[in-house]
Amino acid sequence: MSKAGLAQFQQVFIEESLEGLDTMESSLLALDDGGDGELVHTIFRAAHSIKGGAATFGFPEMSSFTHEAESLLDEVRSGKRAIDGSIIELLLRTVDCLRGMFARAQAGEPLNDAVAEGLRNELAAAMGRGIPAGGVQARRAEDQADAWTVRFRPHPGMLASGNDPLRLIRELAGLGELRATPEFDRLPATLAGLEPSECHLGWTITLRGPVKRADIAAVFDWVEDECDLAIEAQHVVAKPAEAPIATAPVAAAANVADAGAARAQREAGAESSSVRVSIDKIDGLINLVGELVITQSMLDTFRGEYDATRVAMLEQGLAQLARHTRELQETVMGIRMLPIASVFNRFPRMVRDISQKLGKQVKLELVGEQTELDKTVLEKIGDPMVHLVRNAIDHGLETPDKRRAAGKSDLGTLKLEASHRGGNIVVEVSDDGAGLNRDAIVAKAVQRGLIASGEGLSDEAVADLIFQPGFSTAAVTTDLSGRGVGMDVVRRNVADLGGTVTIRSTQGKGSAFTITLPLTLAIIDGLTAAVGGERYIVPLVSIVESVQLKPEAVRSVAGGELFRFRGEYLPVIRLHDAFGCDNAIRAIDQGLMVVVEGDGSRVGLFVDGLIGQQQAVVKSLEANYRRVQGVSGATILADGSVALIVDIAGLVRLQGRRKAA
Amino acid sequence: MPATADKHSEDATGRGESRSMGKATAQGKGESEARVIALPPDFRLAELAAVKAELLEALEAPAVNIDGAAVERVDTAALQLLVAFRRESTARGQSPAWHGVSTVMRDAASLLGLAQVLELPAPMPA
Repeated sequence: MSKAGLAQFQQVFIEESLEGLDTMESSLLALDDGGDGELVHTIFRAAHSIKGGAATFGFPEMSSFTHEAESLLDEVRSGKRAIDGSIIELLLRTVDCLRGMFARAQAGEPLNDAVAEGLRNELAAAMGRGIPAGGVQARRAEDQADAWTVRFRPHPGMLASGNDPLRLIRELAGLGELRATPEFDRLPATLAGLEPSECHLGWTITLRGPVKRADIAAVFDWVEDECDLAIEAQHVVAKPAEAPIATAPVAAAANVADAGAARAQREAGAESSSVRVSIDKIDGLINLVGELVITQSMLDTFRGEYDATRVAMLEQGLAQLARHTRELQETVMGIRMLPIASVFNRFPRMVRDISQKLGKQVKLELVGEQTELDKTVLEKIGDPMVHLVRNAIDHGLETPDKRRAAGKSDLGTLKLEASHRGGNIVVEVSDDGAGLNRDAIVAKAVQRGLIASGEGLSDEAVADLIFQPGFSTAAVTTDLSGRGVGMDVVRRNVADLGGTVTIRSTQGKGSAFTITLPLTLAIIDGLTAAVGGERYIVPLVSIVESVQLKPEAVRSVAGGELFRFRGEYLPVIRLHDAFGCDNAIRAIDQGLMVVVEGDGSRVGLFVDGLIGQQQAVVKSLEANYRRVQGVSGATILADGSVALIVDIAGLVRLQGRRKAA
Repeated sequence: MPATADKHSEDATGRGESRSMGKATAQGKGESEARVIALPPDFRLAELAAVKAELLEALEAPAVNIDGAAVERVDTAALQLLVAFRRESTARGQSPAWHGVSTVMRDAASLLGLAQVLELPAPMPA
């Protein structure tokens, strides 16, 4: 097949292989925890598919590299070698290396690098350990090839013993693409001279495909003594050592040819751009669309005949239309919903690596892996979670001796938990470590001038300080240092997804970081607020309450207005000021104060009034216009006009900056 | 049974019976009748002595047709026998024609690389 023809399958192959690598990784980790032998088979199968696919799709370097790992696995599988920590470690690094290779394959770069070469040697060396000296080198060099020549000459007596060359060759044909060329030189010249029970034929067989010598030899196992057999590798493919040189120009040439397609793929970024959808979901969709068509044709019959007697039927049709549209919407949304397991799955490995490096014992608990959430949210939740997990192991959990001193078991527990709560998904990262050190945080905050003193501050308020940009860096001497590094980034990332981060922490008992996220970014529930002649959508999740205030409840202070709400003073943001709307209501007692929560703080949004609740389909303002501060997107209202969706967190930040200015 | 379209396939039942047909075949050398040898359904080592005898006899005939439509099982020895027959038959100026080849036989012959030397006809739609 042509290069271009293969390219479209390569993407599928890469995606499948990345899944295979995930399986390998999780199985290896399970094996490390004392999993059963079935896991070895799972790992082996994954490696085997990658190897075969790589050879088929034009990645010979990858194929030969994976082969080394596969050979090692084969020895484990067949019981020739016991699996131990060092092998698991080596195989885990192999998985990483293959991921790198796939990334380079996607970017159209040469696959091999120094790491791959080094690892290949390590794998080979590991193989060498278990095999009697001598013959190792020779065997390995020829162990695997993409084409083989097998010279097979049965002895005359072979047929009589019940071994049929036909069966053997058929078996060989199962391994790859086979072509047998018969040899007739031993065949008697006359029919009369032929003894039918003796075999006088011989064959030269070429076999194409990534086949191991051992697999071929296995076919002839039973007839070893009854034939002359020679198995030779055909070196049509460059040997591994020459591979980088040989393939570089090819890769370059392919680059030019596929430049357009490759660039498009790269632009799609590391986040994969396709979703696998189960047939059930698709069938459901087709079913719903069918219903919709029926309803439409039913409504069509009313065209031009607006007879009062048929109003009831028309209403029924509209109700049906509404129901089907809603179901269709839910099902389509369902397509984008994927289990959070794909994010969770990267943590066992990470936790293992970090805890080993830090000399801590960590038990990772995953709860609610099947919780589904929107693919976009899923892809963006990963980084903040990595941050939280790393922090939890690095700074939250203590070393075994410290834990013993504190009367806890050596083994620290890190728990990742996902669940649905209303229209939100809640992801919690908790540990049973030391918890936040209140005194250290307060001291640091005072030193940085963030607060005057820690007195009167609730634990939550103190914990909240670690979200301040740049708070708590290496300059701090306590063991808590770094706990705040990047926490502002975590909060910002989560806020960008329309979510919030909160902390619960008990000193000495551990801490929990809770991320609350909307299920989907595509549709939000919102309240429509009128401001002047405009309408704005305020996301329902951020609304706490709306109240009508008396004019005297709002006090002007330097830099803005405040009002008292349940014992707290909250700043007022007048939406008509923030967005510059004319003809808006300015008198406090004639408008409405909507108390909203965003970016960890509460503010009052002053609007003319609330019109009603509705679901808003979010249209990106960035994609269609440009990014606007305080606005997270736009939606189209029932009458066709455009309403902007208020970005509460952004608005709060905007207000903060104005105040400072 | 995956019989190929063949006007003589009814002869498959008359295995071992080498009878003369009442008409000359187009492939025959012209002046006389062609023998039809029907290969047995179990065309394997144990049956080969009989088939060999038949084939030896056929070598003496002016023309011969082989019918393999009934073959359900075949082994290397059987195909080897056919190769040997074919070689000698061709050397004698006969040009043995096929009256039908079962799928089993065709597959086996191509696996062993013998389809060409046996001059198996191109597969016909069943």
